[in-house]
Formats: sequence, structure tokens, C-alpha cells
Amino acid sequence: MKVEPVKVVVDDVSVAFDSRGHTVVALDRISLAVAAGEFLCVVGPSGSGKSTLLRVVAGLLRQTSGDVRIEAERPGAPLTAMVFQEHALLPWRTVLANVVFGLENRGVSRAQREARAREMLALVGLSRFARHYPHQLSGGMKQRVGIARALANDPEVLLMDEPFAALDAQTRTIMQEELLRIWATLGTTVIYVTHSLEEALLLGDRVVLMTARPGRVSQVFPVELGRPRGLEIRSSPAYGVLLEKIWTELRDEVLKSMEADRDP
Amino acid sequence: MSRGPGWLAQHWLTVASPVALLIGWEVASAVGLLREAFFPRPSTVLVHLRRLVADGTLLGHALPTLSRIGGAFALAAILGVVTGLAMGLWRRLREGLDPVFAVVYPIPSVLFLPFVSFLVPRGETALIVTTAATSFFLIAFTTTEGVRQIDPLVVEAARHYGARGRRLFTAVLLPGALPFIFTGLRLGLGYALIVVVAVEIVSASRGLGALLWLSWQVLKVEDMYATFLVIAALGAVLSYGLAALRARLLPWAQDVAER
Repeated sequence: MKVEPVKVVVDDVSVAFDSRGHTVVALDRISLAVAAGEFLCVVGPSGSGKSTLLRVVAGLLRQTSGDVRIEAERPGAPLTAMVFQEHALLPWRTVLANVVFGLENRGVSRAQREARAREMLALVGLSRFARHYPHQLSGGMKQRVGIARALANDPEVLLMDEPFAALDAQTRTIMQEELLRIWATLGTTVIYVTHSLEEALLLGDRVVLMTARPGRVSQVFPVELGRPRGLEIRSSPAYGVLLEKIWTELRDEVLKSMEADRDP
Repeated sequence: MSRGPGWLAQHWLTVASPVALLIGWEVASAVGLLREAFFPRPSTVLVHLRRLVADGTLLGHALPTLSRIGGAFALAAILGVVTGLAMGLWRRLREGLDPVFAVVYPIPSVLFLPFVSFLVPRGETALIVTTAATSFFLIAFTTTEGVRQIDPLVVEAARHYGARGRRLFTAVLLPGALPFIFTGLRLGLGYALIVVVAVEIVSASRGLGALLWLSWQVLKVEDMYATFLVIAALGAVLSYGLAALRARLLPWAQDVAER
């Protein structure tokens, strides 16, 4: 495998916040490096700070200490664009107007931003729905718009926060295949947060396992299953072995997390 | 919102209920179940209504009422939306004004009239300001809620995609609050009509409220009912007009509301 240059460095990042007088440590000295063009999956029990990590990288949340560096290659492009769990589209904007939103805010000319948006809508297969409003779309279609909106900005890093968690199983499978196809086309660096190990193994080049609160990096597992991948990888022995191996670790963290939530 | 041939089939009750009421009334008065001196038949009332229209009496009273509603509604809408947006955006302002509003809002609007007369010139200005008061509170309340009910995740996403400051306001907070603002405007317009008639009864010589009261006092019962009908029709037109405007301007909110 060719060694790619480092794209994102998360260096010793901690996040702590006050909750009813107690200091809660959400992230505890996390360090990570993501290679350019890599698809990195982050898994962990609820409360392990997966989303917090993503929000710090996105600049939506400021870390208490530590440093996040993103190597910018294209001047003018935003560092990150996020696909949110609950799609978070603007209900009063049409699909097209949602996809151009970021470009519009950056002052890109109308003709340019609409051309770019149409290109992205074609990529996610929603060209015919440009004039629809989000509430007229199914959950899967809304999430496609969310992906098109993020990609339209041509971000250095694409961040995805459990984007398919709210979808039904069949739609989720289709969306995962679509995402792999798009990623293969564009070669974007992706950080993808999920609570599903199966999803992480299907999508990721590596899987970062986080611990129960306070969130730390427990282990990093390379996923050496070859590409392109589809659902058929589930029948390969290597898949089963890796799944079993990560699950053994994850299981402990989930139990710890449940223990911490229990009454003393 | 298209009213195809299926509309009447689906909403026949909307049309049937007022018609049934009028027919029932007509029959009840005709057979003597209701005393015609107090409850004249709707058909008789229509005859008197036609006369009021023909001799210009109705127009002479309707125009001042309309202009008062227009003035009061404009005043309430502008101040209410601006105040409501500010209260929605700034917690401190909201915390400061909430108790004041909570105390003042339930006071029956007509009672503001003497108080308002101390502050502004008596006559038209006092009438308009009094009429605007309740509508103002309604519009300010709903606008505040409109800003507060916007999904914080949507706001976060908009910020993430570069909407800041003024842009965040015009592209996210204002459109997000608009469905609530429209509800407030519709309620406010309805109340403006209610209050203007009440205020005209107490203190005006012209206006639909005045005509109603005058007809009652000289026992021109048919004229009273005729005026009554006009006020009711006016209310319906204003309310449905604003609803239609909302449907036109906020297509994205309409389908959600109809579900």
C-alpha cells in the first residue's frame, strides 16, 4: 500500500465541560493521524466522545487543550464539511438551495455555485429533486442531500456523524454502497463516526476504537479487506476474525459505560 | 394548495354548517319559534343589508373601521415582530420583558383606551393604539416562540456552512421563525377586528362597531344583524386572506401544517 501524506493530526486533544458543578471529561488526551484520502472510522460506546471528537475537528467545539491540524491543499476550500446525524437541512430551502448554501456564504457566484451543486446532486442521484423541499423527501434522500451539501464545498476533510443511523436497514445498506462509490470517485479524506462495527468494517481503512468516558483511543485496527468492498465481505473469514477481535474490546467498553450510568 | 374538484367533496362540512345554521334560523323565525322582533329572518336581514349598501351608510361606517384595522395591524405587526425577534434572540431581554407582558397582556384591550388617551392624542390615534395593543402582544409572543423553536442542530449546521452574524439572521433565524410569525399575524389581525369593534362601541360615532351599537339602541334590529354579518364576513376574509398569503409565501411550511 502506498504511504499517503498525513492530512489530519489530532494532537493530545482534551475536552472537559461543566455539568451541574462537576467537571466532565469528554475527551482525554486523544491523538490521531489521518492520512490523505483515508477513510477512518471511529467506533465506541455511547458517551465515548465520538461526536465530540468530530465536532472539535469541525471547529464546532473548542478543545480544552491540545491541537488539531489539517493540511490544506486547496486554497479557498473549507477545511471540513460535516454530514450531520439528523441531516440538519434548512427546511425552508429547496434541495438545490441547501446544497449551494455553503458556497453562497463564501460568496461564490450564482452560476458557479449552481453548476457545482447540480454536479453534486447528480453524484448522489438526486438531480430530479433539485426543486423539492426537504420535507418532501425520504430519510435516505435527505441524507443524500446532506452529503451533496458537504461535498459541494469541496472540503479538505469530510466529517460524518452517524449519518445513516436513523435510516432503515435496507436504505442504510444502499447508502453505504453509494458512499463507497462516491468516496472512490472523489478520493476525499473521511472521518466517519458510527456505533456499528459492521458499518466500520465495510467502510473504513482503519477503525479507531474509543473507550467509555472519559474518551480515549483504546486501539486502532487496520481493516485489510481489500477494495472495492460490498456486503459480500461479510462472508470472508478475515472479516469474521476482525469483527470478533474488535467486538471483544468494544464489549468491555460498552459494559463499562453501562456500569458508569448505573446508580451508585 | 390547490382547490381541485375534490375540495368540496372533502370539505363539504365547511360549507354545509353555516348554510344549515342560516336555514335553521330562517325556518325558526318563520314558524315563530324565534321572535321576529329580536331574531329577524336572515332573508329580511339581507334586504336591510342591501339597503345599507345602496344608501352608502355601510361604506361610510366600514371605511373608518378598515382604516383603523389597517393602522392598528401595521403598528402591531411591525412592533410585534421586531420586539418578538429581539426577545427570541436575546435571553436577557426576554427575561426582562416576560413578566411585564404576562401582567399587561390579559387586561381586556378596551380598558387601555382611557390610559392610552393620556399618552397620545384622543380620537383616531387613541383608537388605533388601543386596537393595536392586544395584537402586538400576540404577535410578539408567537414571534419569540418562532425564534426559540428553531432546531438548534439546523442553526449549528448553518453556522458550520459559514452563516454568521447578519447572514445567520436573514438566512436562518428569520425564515425559521416565519411560520410562527404568520400564525401570530393571523391571530393579531383577528384580534384587531374584535377590539376595534369594541372600541368603536365605546367611543366612536363612525365605524362598524358604532353602527352596530346605534342600531341596537334605536332597536333597528335588522340593521344590527346586517352589520353583524358584515363584521363576520370581514373577519373571515382577513383570516383566509392571510392564510392564503402564507401558503403562497411559505410553501415549505404549508404541507407540514396540513398533515
